[in-house]
Amino acid sequence: MNQLSQPGVCVPSHHAVTRREFLSDRAVRLAGTAGIAGCFAADMGQVHALRSEELAGELKKQDKKVILLWLAGGASQLETWDPKPGAKTGGPFRAIPTNSTGVHISELLPELAQRMQHTAIIRSLNTKIADHGRGADLVETGRMKDPGILYPDLGAVVARELGRLESKVPDYVSLYTSTEGRRKGTSGFLGARYAPMFLSESMIPPNIARLAAISAIDHNDRAALRDALGRRFTEARRSASVDSHNAAYQRVQGLMASADLFDITKEPEEVQARYGPTQFGHQCLIARRLIEAGVPFVKVARAWWDSHGQNFETHQELCADLDHSMSVLLDDLEQRGLLKNTLVITLGEFGRTPQINASLGRDHFASAWSCSLSGLGIRGGAAYGKTDPEGQTVVEGEASAGDLFATILSALGIDYKHEYMVGARPVPLADFGSKPIAEVLT
Amino acid sequence: MTMETPTDEITTQDAAATAPVAAEAAAVLPHVIKVRKDFALPGIGFCMASSQTQPMIYVGLSDFSIQKVDLSSEKIEPAAFGTIQHSSYVSGLVRCGATLISGACDCSLIWWNSDSGDVIRRVSDAHARWIRMLAVSPDQTRVASVADDMHTKLWDAATGDCLATWGDYEVKTPQGFPSMLYAVAFSADGKWLATGDRTGRILVRDAMSGQIAATLETPVMYTWDPAARRHSIGGIRSLAFSNDSRQLAVGGMGKVGNIDHLEGVSRIEIFNWQTAERRLEIEDSKHKGLVEALQFGPDDAFLIAAGGDNSGFISVYNTADGKLLVQDKAAMHVHDFELHADARSLTAVGHHHGTVIDLFATPAQG
Repeated sequence: MNQLSQPGVCVPSHHAVTRREFLSDRAVRLAGTAGIAGCFAADMGQVHALRSEELAGELKKQDKKVILLWLAGGASQLETWDPKPGAKTGGPFRAIPTNSTGVHISELLPELAQRMQHTAIIRSLNTKIADHGRGADLVETGRMKDPGILYPDLGAVVARELGRLESKVPDYVSLYTSTEGRRKGTSGFLGARYAPMFLSESMIPPNIARLAAISAIDHNDRAALRDALGRRFTEARRSASVDSHNAAYQRVQGLMASADLFDITKEPEEVQARYGPTQFGHQCLIARRLIEAGVPFVKVARAWWDSHGQNFETHQELCADLDHSMSVLLDDLEQRGLLKNTLVITLGEFGRTPQINASLGRDHFASAWSCSLSGLGIRGGAAYGKTDPEGQTVVEGEASAGDLFATILSALGIDYKHEYMVGARPVPLADFGSKPIAEVLT
Repeated sequence: MTMETPTDEITTQDAAATAPVAAEAAAVLPHVIKVRKDFALPGIGFCMASSQTQPMIYVGLSDFSIQKVDLSSEKIEPAAFGTIQHSSYVSGLVRCGATLISGACDCSLIWWNSDSGDVIRRVSDAHARWIRMLAVSPDQTRVASVADDMHTKLWDAATGDCLATWGDYEVKTPQGFPSMLYAVAFSADGKWLATGDRTGRILVRDAMSGQIAATLETPVMYTWDPAARRHSIGGIRSLAFSNDSRQLAVGGMGKVGNIDHLEGVSRIEIFNWQTAERRLEIEDSKHKGLVEALQFGPDDAFLIAAGGDNSGFISVYNTADGKLLVQDKAAMHVHDFELHADARSLTAVGHHHGTVIDLFATPAQG
């Protein structure tokens, strides 16, 4: 078990590591979680020293990444992954065949239908909470909120498990530029080190540009001088704290240098054109650039699917955006050899009611809805779970938010049963009782 | 198009007053909205067409069927019509003599014998996307269709031949999302054809040559939310020419704050379309939502509008000044209605319901 401390209650014994443990794979996890929450900031040196490259496990060497396409507001499963044409709840759109035999999805996703070799669908989520805030809390963390502990979200867990000490790019980037339902994400008890770089007002991170008063030459010279002094100091007084200090500087320099990653005009015009004119398309391109540069987790929120009125028109618009942007993203990742190491997820806080209301809308619904997983660790073409003919209930393969969390972690090769210790409390990466859905995993 | 008035409600006393009532209809504006009959539908009624000779309507529904509704029955029970079905929502329905023509989200048009329900003709690929509405020319020789492929097509009502295809609309909204072409109407003289899209653009064209005679804009009816939700809502949902063909009424919804809901005020703009003069702008803050159907009264003195959000409304406006004459909520979100031949009552269909409504305190005559 990983040994974590309660905020501000970090004791030396928590950091004690035997030689055997130090050399074990377990030590990597143990070390990486040694300075969580309150003690994290005070003891970064210990955490980072133990998570240095030489001790990094095979997992980190595999350079695995995640792009979460967060369909904020709740997309309709009936107009995406679980169409019910002909049912009274089915709406007007057809189901179309995909390039995976026997798997049909909504006609609103024609490009993705031709890329199902990369994608598995889970049609049997029952997360029960049909409220935006609480639903998002549940799905993002894979468990119910607990007043006694602040759980990290998927991005923070992945950043914690897959992020590299020496990385000069952020571990977790979250783009949510729409204002409705905007959520920053949380690293919970994992501490600020794994909190997202959150971009809401602009797609370019603020406050990382070099001050205009300092020239590039001066900036580089200052960094070189600091490095030189730091090296000399380290030669005589090597310690984890000094390493941490140096790493923090390198990280800031890395963040400053990563500004270009957010600038899609650095891409060839042909690539920009492929991603299309929408903001979501632009953000998918940024996600690819970040992944390519080594960011392990990127969340792109596409708001707002909350179609209480005019559900079909809303989905005609938003599905077109999702279909094109995600298809181009999958193609781009594949062409660059990145898809085999990148998991692309579509997920929201819930789905939408089968019943169609008088405004031709669908309301919140968490009892029988869908998500998709593509790329790394996923059995492409699989369609797991089943809902009844009207889409009202799950009739086969019911999956909880915890099961989905366990599935995602398993696709990444992360032990979902592994436990962090928050004080004396063991907290498994996926909630107690969760099980991965083996049928969608390779 | 008008329909026969259901006759079963005429009492002896009413029949005795037939002549005065006819005079009243010409001289007096509607002043009540009184439900005479209410009936359930087995789905969402999107469109309707009246029978040629009987107090009967046909309704296109969300269960892909067309239902035949005998309004003269004491207890109205819709009956399935036709020997086959569309494979999606039936969203357009017109009658040309004894032929019924339907259009659907399945992109097809079907010509039906309105008595037997036999299929006369089916054009499976009439459009590439959802057929939103049909309109029939006053002489019943041509049918126009509009669809989300952003094409307007003109069809020979008798042969089913496609006479023209016009594609003068942008297929995408200014923000790069798929647009939709919702509404179409012939002028009363049959010379002009008006169409309206999601972004609020109206084209009035020569109904024979297709030449565009006027382009009108109703930008208030299209709400693009650039910050909170990053998609749009609205569009032109109904069009109606006046009986003199000079005015064009356009129905939709005003600007919307929260586009998750149909919370915009219902909105009508009336144009002197040949001069592009926006003569009246009518917004109704009491009943929100889309104006789904419009029809001028027989002498253009009044305009009836119906639609809704999660509930429905029927409103009658004085076309001289745009003032509300009478209004009430409907039993359902109304998607379509037809004024009866005597212009004293109407039949409306919508969300799982239909209704017959009197517009005058004195009951209708046969």
